[in-house]
Amino acid sequence: MGHHIITEIENEKFEFTKRSRTIVGAIFVIGLILSIIGVVQLKGDNGAESHDTDATEQHDAEEHALNSETPASFASLQHGEEGTHEAPEHDAHAAEEHAADADHGDAGHGGGSWLTRLWSNILMNSYYFMLFAIAALFFIAVNYAANAGWATLVKRVAEAITSYLPVAFLTIVVVIALGHGELYHWIHYFKEGYAAGDPGYDKIMESKAWFLNNGWFFAGVPIIMIIWILFRTKLRNLSLKEDENGGTDYFRKSIRFSAGFIVFFAFSFSILSWLVMMSLDAHWFSTIYSVYNFAIAFVTGLTVICLFTLYLKSKGYMSAVSDEVVHDLGKFMFAFSIFWAYIFIAQYLLIWYANLPEEVIYYQMRTSDTFRPLFRTNIIMSFFLPFLILMMRNAKRNPKVLMLAGVIILVGHWIDLYLMVMPATVGDSASIGLLEIGMTMTFAGFFIYWVLNNLSKKALYPMNHPYLLESVNHDVGV
Amino acid sequence: MFEANIRKPLVTGGKTLTDVSNDICRPIENKPTKLWWLGFSISFLLLMVFVGTIGWTTWEGIGTWGVNKSVMWGWDITNFVFWVGIGHAGTLISAILLLFRQKWRMSINRSAEAMTIFAVICAAMFPLFHMGRVWLGYWPLPLPNAFGSLWVNFNSPLLWDVFAISTYFSVSLLFWYLGLIPDIATVRDRATSKARKFWYGFFAMGWNGSARNWHRYEVVALILAGVSTPLVLSVHTIVSMDFATSVIPGWHTTIFPPYFVAGAIFSGFGMVLTLLVIARSVLNLQDYITVEHLEAMTKVVMLTGSMVGLAYLTEFFIAFYSGVEYEQYAFRNRAFGPYWWAYWTMMSCNLLAPQVFWFKWARTTPWFIFIMSIIVNIGMWFERFVIIVTSLHRDYLPSSWVMYSATWVEVGIFLGTMGLFFTAFFLFSKFLPVVNMAEIKSILKSRE
Repeated sequence: MGHHIITEIENEKFEFTKRSRTIVGAIFVIGLILSIIGVVQLKGDNGAESHDTDATEQHDAEEHALNSETPASFASLQHGEEGTHEAPEHDAHAAEEHAADADHGDAGHGGGSWLTRLWSNILMNSYYFMLFAIAALFFIAVNYAANAGWATLVKRVAEAITSYLPVAFLTIVVVIALGHGELYHWIHYFKEGYAAGDPGYDKIMESKAWFLNNGWFFAGVPIIMIIWILFRTKLRNLSLKEDENGGTDYFRKSIRFSAGFIVFFAFSFSILSWLVMMSLDAHWFSTIYSVYNFAIAFVTGLTVICLFTLYLKSKGYMSAVSDEVVHDLGKFMFAFSIFWAYIFIAQYLLIWYANLPEEVIYYQMRTSDTFRPLFRTNIIMSFFLPFLILMMRNAKRNPKVLMLAGVIILVGHWIDLYLMVMPATVGDSASIGLLEIGMTMTFAGFFIYWVLNNLSKKALYPMNHPYLLESVNHDVGV
Repeated sequence: MFEANIRKPLVTGGKTLTDVSNDICRPIENKPTKLWWLGFSISFLLLMVFVGTIGWTTWEGIGTWGVNKSVMWGWDITNFVFWVGIGHAGTLISAILLLFRQKWRMSINRSAEAMTIFAVICAAMFPLFHMGRVWLGYWPLPLPNAFGSLWVNFNSPLLWDVFAISTYFSVSLLFWYLGLIPDIATVRDRATSKARKFWYGFFAMGWNGSARNWHRYEVVALILAGVSTPLVLSVHTIVSMDFATSVIPGWHTTIFPPYFVAGAIFSGFGMVLTLLVIARSVLNLQDYITVEHLEAMTKVVMLTGSMVGLAYLTEFFIAFYSGVEYEQYAFRNRAFGPYWWAYWTMMSCNLLAPQVFWFKWARTTPWFIFIMSIIVNIGMWFERFVIIVTSLHRDYLPSSWVMYSATWVEVGIFLGTMGLFFTAFFLFSKFLPVVNMAEIKSILKSRE
């Protein structure tokens, strides 16, 4: 309190300078080069980049032959962990089928051809950057629906992030159209068309045919994303028209479209997360999975909004965004890191406690020797570090500390996604190498370029938004 | 704090600071109305039903209940979870809405918190008396074996419940009482009779409204708000784990924690609406608990109802996706088995009915909101009934499949807790200010 009230602000326009373009472009190009080197390296190594165990080496040739026709995930899921073999009923079918693979399944699947690994990386990054864009749209919609005023100043930043949605659409469509054979073993399974009694017939898989089918996968996913893009376009246009014409009509319309989007988002995002991510482990299931994906999306989306805002502020833009607004963005990052941890523990604890073979397999694969260090790092970086760093009031008002926390959150959830994808597709031969780093740099470079470019096109503040001055005069109170 | 001019005022009727004190203290300082006596008498009768049935249970034993071989304490647990759920709105309003700076909470937080406390007391009756020997009710505490008890099992979510709910109760009570102190002092200062001056003076703990008093008050309030925020989530998370850590089909599902929390908030707001729609007209508080407040609450009801609905559908989807036949049977049995009526009552009350709040008329018509709030209460009671009974009455052994029904004693106990709850609430509305005067005055000032 005690501030004087600001009643007018100057609008600003972001200029994406040549220098910045070069730097961001360089990230993209270097990423691309690293990825190519990574792929060439993997190909040269005959698909077994990390020879950590001797067992892997022995079975290498044999496995490679298998992988050329069957995605590694298939073998790894069926015969993944010792735990599987103790499983009484559900994995009985697994033991019977693909008897041919069974002998090497125990030896620790070295699997993962370079192609599987390449597609896994593309999938993971496509999905990760899509999460930012859709979460930013969700953030805009929630602020409308909840009549929240404080974040109005950063609305254009969030809008610019949503402009990435069409790109995300393209990358996801490319992955599912071209990479599905390497990633989703259920697609491969249904292509083979087993009849009951055949060796390799999988009763569980057959029972999922009503959902895991080409219709849902190849039509459902793109349709969902197209509708998201339509919502995005509508909300963006309303916002731009509001800039021109003023009045509260656009604002009221935006509230209605936001509410509609939130309802559609709740259902469609669940379906999308099941199809694109959960079906990588086609036998496994968890009811909280979609909420878990949402938790990742929202915390990372908020972080990306915050980081872009801090970047703009560091370049001298967004002077109307006070520490108070940044503070609240920091609070959201803090709160939703805790929310993620809550959802994580809900899934992990319940699966661990009940110890049902068809469920624990998921965590057994993710706490194997290969993945255990990352599994722990994920929890530390996605929860403990942001929790401890952002707990203090001053941390949320200090751009450097906030940036540090933001980067930790983003890397943490990158690992989070890595653990969702890689154990299911590449299996125990996965590691973080040039390909992983390069591919993420490629996507990040492109994403940043796209967002900043979009940001430079329109004014930075939605000047006629009825809550603009609330955001300008925002005060966290304590 | 700056506010956009399109926001509507939270308190209507052009009230001054004096008006606030007069309006809110009126029920305390005057003789209760006829309506109050009527409501109180009915509640008190129900309370006597509670005393009678619980007394009979204690005298005769748990055999008076409909406990049977596979459902066990179905009715008892249903009611326990029902009441604990209702107890969630209070803390949500006072802690989470405080963090989200929702100022409309100021008119309703006092009564919602009171409701929370009474609901938790009602809830506690069920686990306490289901033990049969209520005089050994301290056994769930981790006491040395010399007290006669055995060392408790820390692996059991039931024990986590003991800690979660007792913590929740203590913090809610403290938070509620702390907020009451300045208001009790106001009543004390206006008191005309000696008795009132003494008792309100006693509970005001020497509050004198000095800057020092207020400073300490605000520090403690903030700390308690911080402490109670995780409690909003933790209590029903742990209640959900009572079910979800088991391997019972229909119970063991990972979405239970957030889904139970959403359901609890949903039912809590349902009950807050039931109480406040009545209270605002009986106590003439329409200018403080305005239609705007009701509208905001209906939005929360719609949101949480839809979240719960999404969880129902997710559960159903995953059951059929999972390929686990037991899970599939549990859900088919829920929807189309002998308890189909309970399932569809739940679905229509919790998922479908709140969708009427998409319409402005439904959100702003008090009598309609009242009916909807009763529907929400019914729906959430049935949700617990469905979860508990349908998963247990047909277990892995078809020879022990049963139909479950409650006895008159159990029905009496449930109706009796209603009596306990409403009696407490009527007494609260007579003896304590139902709206937080101090806080309401703070938002009046900013609107001048």
